[in-house]
Amino acid sequence: MLIQVRDLSKVYQMGAEVVRALDGVSLDVDAGEFLSITGASGSGKSTFMHLLGCLDKPTSGTYHLNDRDVTQMSDKELARIRNREIGFVFQTFNLINRTPAIDNVAVPLVYGRETFTNKKAMDALERVQLGKRAKHKPSEMSGGERQRVAIARAIVNNPKVIFADEPTGNLDTRTGEQIMGIFHDLHKEGTTIILVTHEMSVAAQAKRLIRMVDGVVDTDTPITPSLRNEMLHSGMFGASVLTDSGVSGGTESGVSGVTDSGSTVAAEPGVS
Amino acid sequence: MFTFRVIWMALRGLQTNMMRSLLATLGVVIGVCAVVSAMSILEGAKKDITKRFESMGADQVMVVSGSSRGRRGVQTRTNALELKDAEAILDQCDLVKAVAPEIQNAAQIKYFQKNKGVQILGTTDAYYRINEYETVEGRFIRREDVRGERKVCVLGHKVAKDLFGEVSAVGYRVKIKGTGFTVVGVMEKKGFLGFREVDNQVIVPISTAMKRLYGVRFVTMITCQAKNPSNLSAAITQIKRTLRSQHSIRAGTDDDFTVFTQEQAKKQVADVTQIFEVVLYSIAGISLLVGGIGIMNIMLVSVTERTREIGVRIAVGARRVDIMTQFLIEAAVISMIGGAVGVLVGVGLSALLERITRVLETYTPPSAIVYALVMAAGVGIVSGLYPAIRASKLDPVEALRYE
Repeated sequence: MLIQVRDLSKVYQMGAEVVRALDGVSLDVDAGEFLSITGASGSGKSTFMHLLGCLDKPTSGTYHLNDRDVTQMSDKELARIRNREIGFVFQTFNLINRTPAIDNVAVPLVYGRETFTNKKAMDALERVQLGKRAKHKPSEMSGGERQRVAIARAIVNNPKVIFADEPTGNLDTRTGEQIMGIFHDLHKEGTTIILVTHEMSVAAQAKRLIRMVDGVVDTDTPITPSLRNEMLHSGMFGASVLTDSGVSGGTESGVSGVTDSGSTVAAEPGVS
Repeated sequence: MFTFRVIWMALRGLQTNMMRSLLATLGVVIGVCAVVSAMSILEGAKKDITKRFESMGADQVMVVSGSSRGRRGVQTRTNALELKDAEAILDQCDLVKAVAPEIQNAAQIKYFQKNKGVQILGTTDAYYRINEYETVEGRFIRREDVRGERKVCVLGHKVAKDLFGEVSAVGYRVKIKGTGFTVVGVMEKKGFLGFREVDNQVIVPISTAMKRLYGVRFVTMITCQAKNPSNLSAAITQIKRTLRSQHSIRAGTDDDFTVFTQEQAKKQVADVTQIFEVVLYSIAGISLLVGGIGIMNIMLVSVTERTREIGVRIAVGARRVDIMTQFLIEAAVISMIGGAVGVLVGVGLSALLERITRVLETYTPPSAIVYALVMAAGVGIVSGLYPAIRASKLDPVEALRYE
C-alpha cells in the first residue's frame, strides 16, 4: 500500500468560525494507481492534496506513505519525503521565470543534498520532449511547454507519486490533452498519479475517481469505460452521473453543469 | 555545490533587478568607500610620517627648549638652549658621538635677477654626518667656517637647480638677506629629512647665522647622535644631567628643555592618528548601518515578490534552513558587490585626493580591502537575517496560493 489514510481531518479557525476543510477522510491507494480527485471548490480536494503531498499537517487522523507514518515526521523529514518521493505539478506551473528550463528542473536536485550534474535534469527534460529548449527561460515558452518543464521538475528525482493540481486548467484543450498524454506515459512506467481537478473530462482519464463533497469522500469508484463516457459528456462535476444515475448510468446525459466560476456549460447530447 | 548554486541564483536575481539592487547597495558602497579611503589616507599619512622619522635615524636624540610637562605641551618659544650647551654635551657625555646645534629661519636668497624664498639652516659640520646627508658638489660646512663665522653656504639640491640650472654653483656668490655668501657646495637630492624639506634649504655656519643674519643667542634645536643606538636611554640621561647642570636647574624643578627620540615622536603621532581613526571609522560605521537597512529593505521586497517561488522550493524538498541560507547568501552577495564597488570608488577617491592636494600621501593596504569586503558581507548577513527568517517561516500552502 502506497498511501493509507485513516480519518484524516483538517480544521481551520477563520475568525470565530471553525472550518472543517477535511472531515474524517479515509483512503487507500496502491502503488501504480492513476486516480483523480474531483469536487467543487471548497469541497476539500486541495486541502486533501496538500496533506497527501506533505505540504501541510492534519489536525487529526493518520497518513501512512509507504508504510511510514507521515503525521509523526519532523519538518526536515517531510522535506526529504517531498524531495524524494513526491512530485508536484501545479495549475500555474510555478516556474522560476528568471532561470532557464534546465535550472528549473534542477531545483529539486539542489535540495537533494548530494552532488549532481545537470544530466538528471536534462534526462527529465528529454522525457517531456523539451531537451532542445533546455536553455530557454519559461517566459520564452508556451503554456504547454511550461507545464512540461514543470512535469520534468516533478519527475527529476523519479518520485513514487505525482500530485497534479489542475494541471490543464491554464491550457487550451489540445495542449491539455498533450499534458494528459505525458501523465498516461508516466503512469504506464509505474508512477502513481493523483490528479486533482474539477473538470470531468480530465478526471475521466484516470482509472479511479474520488469525488469530494464538503470535506468528505462522497464517491470512490473505478472508472469503467461506460462511466468514462458518461463523465466525458457530463460537464463539470458529473454530479448527475454519480449521484442520480449511479456509476453505471448513462440516461441522464444532456444535463448542464455549473462551473466553478458560475457559468453554465451545456453538455453535449449523450452519445450512447 | 548547494552554496555555489545559490550564489549563482543570487547573481541571476541581481541581474534582473539591476537598478533596484544598485540603489539598495548604495549605503554599503558609501560605507565601504568611506572605510577604504579613510584607511588609505590614514595609512598614507602614517607611512609618510614614519618615513620622515626613520630618516632621522634611530640613534638620534633631539633637544629643544621648553618644558614638555607644562599644560600646553612643548613650549618651544622659551629660549634656553645655547651654543655652549651643545659643546658641553659633546664634552661631558661619553655616550654621545656627535652633536649638531641648529638654528632655522626663513630668508630670501638672491643670485643676480633670481630671487627665491628658502629655509636657512645654521649648523655645524656634524650635521651631515649625523644625518648621512652628502654633498654632490664641493664640500660641506667645515669646523673652520663655524669658528671663523665665514660667509659661506651650501645649497640644497632644489635651490641650486632653481638658481643655477645645470651650471655648477660652487664658487659663485649669492646674497642672503643682503649679505654676500660664497657657495662652497651643493647637497644631494634628499626630499625630507625629519619634517624638513631639505632640498629647499640653504646651510650656513651656525655662528654666521646667529650673529650676522639673525642676531640671536639661542639655538632652535640640538641634535645628538648616540654612540650606540641600543644605549639610547643612558645617553638621554647623560644629556639631561649635563643640560640641567649647564642651566643650573635645582633638583625638583622641571627641565627647561625637552628631549625626544624618533620612537617617542612616532608614538605621539600614533596617538594623534588614533583619534582620527576613531572618528573616521565611526562615520564609516554609521554609513554601513544605513547600508544594512537598505539591504534589509530590498531583501524584504525580494522575499515578498518571490513568495510563490519559496512555496515551490519548499514543495520540491527545500528545508526551512535551505530557504534561509539562500536569502542570507543573496543578501551577502548583494552587500559584497556593493562592498567591491565601494572599494573601487574608495581607492579611486584616495588616488584623486592625492593628485588634487599634492601633499596628501595615500596608501591602500591589501588588508583594508579584505577588511572592507568582510565587513560588507557581515552587514549583508546581519541585515539579511530578518528577511531570511521570514522567508523560511512561510507556509508552503499559503505561499503557493500567493498572487
